[in-house]
This record gives sequence, structure tokens and C-alpha cells, in this order.
Amino acid sequence: MNRNRLSFKIIVRVLLFCFILGGSIFTIYYLFARKTIERESRENAIHLAESTVYKIEEIINPAEMIPGNLAWIIENNTLSRDSIYAFLRQLVRNNKSVFAAAIAFEPYLFSQERYAFAPYAYRSGDEILNRDLWSPAYNYFIMDWYQIPALLRKPYWSEPYFDEGGGGVLMTTYSVPFYTNTNNSRVFTGIITIDISLEWLTEIVNSVKIFETGYAFLISGNGVYVTHPNASHIMNQTIFTYAREVNEPVIREIGRDMIGGESKLSNVNLKEMGNVWIYHTKIPSSKWSLGVVYPHREMYAGLRSLNIMIFLLSVMALTLLTIVTIRIINRQIRPLSRFAKAARNIAGGNFDIELPVVEENHEMKELHDSFRYMQEELANYIADLKETTSAKEKIESELRIARGIQIDMIPHIFPPFPNLPEIGLYASLESATEVGGDLYDFFPIGDDHFCFAIGDVSGKGVPASLFMAVTITLIRSMSDKNRSCSEIVQSVNKTLTINNESNMFVTLFVGILNLQTGELQYCNAGHNPPVLLNCDREPLMFRNTKAIPVGIFGEIDYCNETMILDPSDQIFLYTDGITEAEDADKNLFGEAALMKALTENRDKSPKELTDRVKQSVKEFVNGHMQSDDITMMCITYRGKNGNKIK
Amino acid sequence: MNISIEKTDEEFLVVISGRVDTTNYNEFENSIVHLYNEKDATIYLDCSGLDYISSSGLRIFLTLQKKVKIQGGVLKIFAMQPQIKEIFDISGFSSIFAIFPDYSAAKEA
Repeated sequence: MNRNRLSFKIIVRVLLFCFILGGSIFTIYYLFARKTIERESRENAIHLAESTVYKIEEIINPAEMIPGNLAWIIENNTLSRDSIYAFLRQLVRNNKSVFAAAIAFEPYLFSQERYAFAPYAYRSGDEILNRDLWSPAYNYFIMDWYQIPALLRKPYWSEPYFDEGGGGVLMTTYSVPFYTNTNNSRVFTGIITIDISLEWLTEIVNSVKIFETGYAFLISGNGVYVTHPNASHIMNQTIFTYAREVNEPVIREIGRDMIGGESKLSNVNLKEMGNVWIYHTKIPSSKWSLGVVYPHREMYAGLRSLNIMIFLLSVMALTLLTIVTIRIINRQIRPLSRFAKAARNIAGGNFDIELPVVEENHEMKELHDSFRYMQEELANYIADLKETTSAKEKIESELRIARGIQIDMIPHIFPPFPNLPEIGLYASLESATEVGGDLYDFFPIGDDHFCFAIGDVSGKGVPASLFMAVTITLIRSMSDKNRSCSEIVQSVNKTLTINNESNMFVTLFVGILNLQTGELQYCNAGHNPPVLLNCDREPLMFRNTKAIPVGIFGEIDYCNETMILDPSDQIFLYTDGITEAEDADKNLFGEAALMKALTENRDKSPKELTDRVKQSVKEFVNGHMQSDDITMMCITYRGKNGNKIK
Repeated sequence: MNISIEKTDEEFLVVISGRVDTTNYNEFENSIVHLYNEKDATIYLDCSGLDYISSSGLRIFLTLQKKVKIQGGVLKIFAMQPQIKEIFDISGFSSIFAIFPDYSAAKEA
């Protein structure tokens, strides 16, 4: 993964985004689903209870009709006294839900002779038998089923009970008072009862199954459990005793509401089942009430398994997404690492490196094209550079050779003439470029004369150096015993002016010293005036002759000047590279600074003097680049035969 | 270095300022090279802003002077700063060129 950092980063971001997106969608879905399930469950609980009640009513209602019809028959005397047993038997036979039926008369109202009479037909196995309920041991007048409706003059549903005589089945008795018309008045005559087995009721209610543990139950008007999934509760517990037993006050509250005949949905938390819906509603015909228990945990069980499924699918989807994304990204960016490798190769000078192939026309293709362009341009550039460099190297080597030649043209062995004791001399020339335009020269003429010259060609570099070479050659060739300084300058000027289209010129100072007499003859063609030095006097600058440099106009007359040198006099000659040396702020060294340096060092030897001046200039420019050639020459006249040796 | 050339009738006013040295004398020559061929022109060269001139620059002055003369014209230089005047004096160029203290003096002459 580390190798493909980019893909790793992208996939982390994509996954994070998918995770957040999926999480949000899932949360919204979950809340919505939960809400829907809750709403449906609530409706379902109500619906379940109502439909169960309806089923119960469907059975109870026809049963309720029976005593009513019977009372009518009796009231209208349509039933003969003899066939009363047969009638009852037939009634029981015809109504499957009816276990037994009885007509219990008030004392002496069936006949004057009989105190009590209660004909009774009942099922016994497959047979239907009949008998009189009355016996001294069974005084039915004090039984609930008789006494309560007789007093209330209203139909009455008894509490459920186990009928021991009837095979131990759960029963309830429905009792309806009946009347006879005697002397145009309606006289209460007795109670008609039917016993209904509650087994079918148990079946109906127990058939209500809600998930795993949800159930329905039925309680009587007193709160006694008529049906309950736990059979031991039936007839043995009321909802109140149960509430106390399991210590759930909410159940007691619900029981109270149920007995009150209310229909209500409650959300309660039971210790045993957790959160449950309990919906209860009354059975209209009796005072009984049906409850439905709807457990939450199981209500959401479907959702939970769905969630697990979704989670597993999400994990799978994310895994797939990761794999696919990594593959796609890696395939897309694979060329990048190759480009990087290619770039390193190109940087290493391998311009022919094969670039990764990009077929699709997108950004990678652009990169490829740019790379290709860079590759080609670099190759061309390097080729050009090689060519230029070799050309430059060639020029430089030629310049080096030229410099050598130029240096060889000027004397540079000091002291130059050990056999001339009259003269002490030192000169130095430093070109700003490889080759320069400054020049100096000196040589003896005959035995008594010493010729020296200093000059500066306009401009710098190769053109100036060529002009310098010509000039120095001319000076040498023009100097002889018979020529004065001005004649030398004049002939040099004449020759240089011919075909000098570029108007190059040379400032030139030529001097000839008579070693015997100290007489100095000189000619200055536009050159910086030299300085006469003696340790006993202030330095003195030569007078400016205002003659123009050589090479400009051919027909010019230059003048000779003369002066007499005392032994130990020194002449300091220089080019404008000294006076016009610049520091970083373009300030010029100037004549004043030169004179100061010369004054301070006037007692020094020629070499020392030039070194000191050079040092002063160096300190002045303070590392700023030398822009012009710097040339100095210092000559000491020691007098005839070098008497005064310095 | 800055050069401006103004033309009025047969007269040219060349104003040069800054430094003329080996690094820019070509530029100087290129900007005045067309004056070499002007017939009978009077060229005024204003040097009041010229701070420094090297021998390469002097060569251009010299060339201009020669060319103008050949074409029958005149070159008048004026308002040189002292250090420039000194260079002209030392090199003897003062004797080659017509140099005036200011523009009006150059005009009158």
C-alpha cells in the first residue's frame, strides 16, 4: 500500500465518504422502518383484538338468543308442559355451543303442587340426558345464576366456573328471567339458563399468536382469567392477584381499565417481557375484556435480522468497492511511477528512455505529451549546449593562446637589464578580459639611450588586442637612433590611420632617456600624463600636451618635450585603468588618490611602488569587478653608471 | 545610459545621459548610426547628463565626428561635466571636437 500512496489516500477518502453516506442512509432507513413497524404493530394489535372479539361475539350472540326465544315461547304458552324435557333436549342437541339448558321456575309457579321445578337437559358423553335440578340438597333459589338475574330482572352472565358434573370443562352460565301473563299482568315466573362451554373461547383466544411470546388473554368482569396461555392462571388468578404476584403495578392499572370496560392501548415495561404494547377492549355482550400483549423486542426482530443482512451486504459492498477502486486507481496512475522513473532517467542524461504508453486521451495523455516534448526539447537543448560549449571552449582555448602571445609581446622579466646600472624598472599589466588593449614596452637604443612606451587602445578584448599588437610592433620597428619620440609617434600614427575604418585609436606615451645626461625626451599622444617622483620633492604630474591619440588623423604633427632627470628621479606611468578604477558605487579612484598613494610611497623601489599603488586601487574597489586593463610602469634613473644606487 | 534624438530641419539634438562604457557602447552606436549618413546636418550633442565615458565611447564620438565631417555636416558638443571634459583634455580630444559650455553658445558658433 505504501508504494501506492496516492491510491491509498483516495481509497481512504472514498471509503470514508461511502461509510458516512451509507451510515446516514441506513440511519434514516432504520428510523423510518422502526416508525413504520411501530405504527403497523400498533394497528395490528388493535385489529387483532377487535377481530378476536368479533369471533367471540359470533358464537356468543346466537347463544344469547336461545334463552330469549325460550322465554318468549313460555310466556306465550306455546310449549306444552309434557314436552318440556323433549324440547330442552332438542335445544341442547341443536346448539353445539350449548352444554346444558334449564328452565327454573319460581316456587309453585309451574304447578300448585310443586314447590320447585327446574327441568334441565345436559350433555353426557354423546347422549343428552334430562332431570330436575331441584333437590333439597340443591336449592337453586340461592344460587348466583338464579338469584342475581331474579333480583336484577336482567340477563346475567355468570363468572366462569369448572363444571364438575359436566366433565370438568370450563363453563359459564347465561341466565335470563322470564315471565307469564296472569290476569293481564306480567308476572316474573323464573329463570332460563344455558350453560356454555368455554373451551371454544379458549381455543379462539389461544389461537392468537403474536411472534414468539405475544399472546391474548380474556378476563371476566371480576378480573378472573378466563383464558391465558398459562393454563394454571385460568380460574385460579385474577389479573390483580397476578399483578401483585409479579409485582407489576401497571398490570393492576390495566386490569382496572379492563374491568371498567375501556378500550385502550398502553405501552408498558414488564420485567419478564420488556417493552410491550397491551391493547384491551371489552366483549360487548358480557362484562368480559380481551387483552392482547404485543412484545416490542420481537416486533423489531425482523428489522434486526434485516439490519444484520444490510450490514453484511454493506461490508461486502465496501470490500468490493475497495478492491475495484484500488485496481482502477492503480491502473490509472501506474504510468505516473513510470513517468517518475523516466524523469530520473532523463535527468541522468538518458534522453532515449521509453515513456509509458498512454492510450486513453485524458490528463495522463497530456502528461505523456508534455513529457515527450520535454524529452525532445531537452535532447535538442543538450545537443545545442554541447555544440555551444565546445565552440566556446575552442574560443576560450584560442583566447588563452592569444593571451600567451600577447604577454610574450611585452617584456616581463624584471629586472630587465642587469647590465644597465642607470636604470631600475618595473612594470605590470593586468587585463580585465583574457586579452586586453593596454601596452607597454622598453628597450635600449644604442649604448646611451633607453626607450620606453605605454599605451591604451580604445575598447577591450580581441579587437583592442589586435590593435595593441600592431601598435607595439610598429613602435619597435620605428624606434632607432635617428628618430625622436615625436617622429616615432608620428610614424606609428600614420601607419595605424591607414584603413582604420573602425576608428580604433591608441593613447600613447613614448619617452627616450639619455642615460648619460639624464635628459628625457618624450611625446604624449593623448595618454594620461605620467608622474615625476623624487623622495625629496612632492610628486609632479607631467604637463598635459593635449595631443590627440594615434590612429585618428594621419596628418598630425606631434611635439617633443624634454626635461632633465636628476639621479634617483622616478617616472611613474599608468593607464586610465588606475584612475578610472571603480568601486561598487561607481566612484572613480581618480588622480588625487593616485597622487596620494605615490606621495606616500615615493621612496620605494619601482616594484614596491607599483605593488603599493595596486594595493591602494584594490582596497578602493573593494572586490568590485575590474572593468578596464590596469597597467603601470615605474622607471628609476640612477644617474650615470648608476652612481646613486637606490 | 539613455539617448534621445530630436530632429528640427537640418538640426539634430542628441541628448546622452548616464554612462557609456564597454558594456553598452554598441547600443550607443546603434542608436546614432543613422546620423552617419545625414547630409549637411548640424548635430548638437548634449552631454550634461553624461556621467562617465570609456575609450570605447570616445571611439563612437570620434566615428560620429568623422562621418559627419565627410557628409559636410558639423558636430557640436556642449555642457560637458568637468570629469568628462578632463578625459577629453587628457586624450587631446578637446582639440578634435567643437566643445561649448552650453546649447546657446553652441548655436551661436
